[in-house]
Order: sequence, then C-alpha cells, then structure tokens
Amino acid sequence: MNDSTITEDAVVIERTFEAAVNIIWQMWTDPEHFKQWYGPQGFTVPVADMDLRVGGKRLICMASPDGSMKMWTTGEFTEIVSSERLVYTESPADENGNVVSPSAMGMPDGYPATTEVTVLLEDLGGRTKMVMTHAGVPASSGAGGGWEQAFDKLADHIATALNNK
Amino acid sequence: MVKRSDDDRLSQTFAALANSTRRAILARLAEGEATVNELAEPFDLSLPAISKHIKVLERAGLITQGQKAQYRPCTIDVTPLEEVSKWTEQYRHIWEARFDRMDDYLNQLKNREKNNE
Repeated sequence: MNDSTITEDAVVIERTFEAAVNIIWQMWTDPEHFKQWYGPQGFTVPVADMDLRVGGKRLICMASPDGSMKMWTTGEFTEIVSSERLVYTESPADENGNVVSPSAMGMPDGYPATTEVTVLLEDLGGRTKMVMTHAGVPASSGAGGGWEQAFDKLADHIATALNNK
Repeated sequence: MVKRSDDDRLSQTFAALANSTRRAILARLAEGEATVNELAEPFDLSLPAISKHIKVLERAGLITQGQKAQYRPCTIDVTPLEEVSKWTEQYRHIWEARFDRMDDYLNQLKNREKNNE
C-alpha cells in the first residue's frame, strides 16, 4: 500500500516494502545501499558519508547524469533507534560540508534552509511499513526570513483579495 | 510523476518571484487590478523597467494584462502561486521516485540472493 499526503510544510510518505525491517534500516544507514536509491532520476550518489551516531555528521553528494552538476547536502543525525526510528537534519552545503544558503545552491527562494527527515519503521514480519516525514525547520534567525515574510504577506494579501470577491 | 512541463512552469514561477519588486507588484495586484502607471508609482523605477517586470510576471502566468490599448489594467492570477506555495509539492515527487527505486533495488538484492543459493 502506498500513500502520501502533504501537510502545511511537510512531505509524509507511507510505504510498505517486501523486505525485513533490518534491510530497510540498512537502506537508510549503510552508504553503499543508500547510494543505490537516493539519487533523483538519473543522478548518482558519489559520496554518502554517514557518521551513524547522535550528533554524527552526514555529507551527501548527488551528481547529475553527465556529472556536470553536483549538489551537496549536510546535516547530522539527531535520533537513532536501530530498525525503528531515524531522524536527521539536512541543509544545502559545499563539498567540505559548509552550509550554504538554498538560493546559492540554485534552489528556488522559499526553500527552507534546514529540513528534517524522520523515518519510522514498523516490523510486519518479513515486510516493513515505513513512514517518512520531510519537514521544513523554521528559520531560527533572520537569515532568509525576508523572503519568507514577503511571501507570507503576499499570501495574506491574496487570501484577503479572494475572500473579498 | 511530475511532468517536464510542470517542472519548467514551476521554475519560471520561482524565477519570477525571486525579485522583491515583482513580489511587491503582485501584492499590489492582490488588492485589485491596476495600470502600469499605478504599479510604477511606489517604486523609484522607470516605466520601461516596471514594464519589464510585468512582462516576466506575465510570462510566468502570474498576471494577465488587458488588451485595451490606452488602459491596460493588470490582474493577478494565483494559479501558479498555489503550485509553488509548498516546496513540499516538489519534494514529494522526488521521494516517491526514490522509494520506487528502493523497491527495485530490494528486488535486485533478492534475485542476487536467489542466484547465489
């Protein structure tokens, strides 16, 4: 059964895989397995460094099919419960793992600077139910807030204008 | 799956929105239609400069401009905004495709195991 829903600021996808829960855990935590599925269509994942402990860093590189475009993301693991629960943060980065702004990475304005991925696994006896949540983390400082505020204001204007119709 | 044309349209909308003057123009139009002159008023910009911004917004489908020669009011069209208001909409497609590949990869692993038995 596949299901996906969108909440206000998060992607939630639920899937059941025909594989044991420890295998699905490895899909997320073993770089060699992770590289096989994580890249967007046609992309490769040449680098997937994972220091699998709470506070441990991640550094992932996705490369376009011809290798001309590389996108790096970094972050850290914040929760690790083997074969049950994995939480990590993600931000656009350079190849040294220094965080850069989403727009500097060519991502459209309005993308959250930091996002959080939560993976919940449930052992169904040989099969595994997975619920993945990818959520935007509210900006804690003023960085990037200008655009978000502008957009909120714009959204308010539009809502008001539509209600008055 | 996200269609190529959807992607292109989203990119165009994002590009159009990535400018404070154009966002201000949209905010003004959300209150009601306005002429180019009226839109130019709050800005320290020439009419041609404002017209250029309007063209970008028009190409992105964010506004439409009336056809009457003298008085061509601009009107907002919120359809593209509804699509980009959620970054999640784009990521959902990426994740769905990833998990399809995870499924394929799991099958490959299973087959390899079988062949090794």
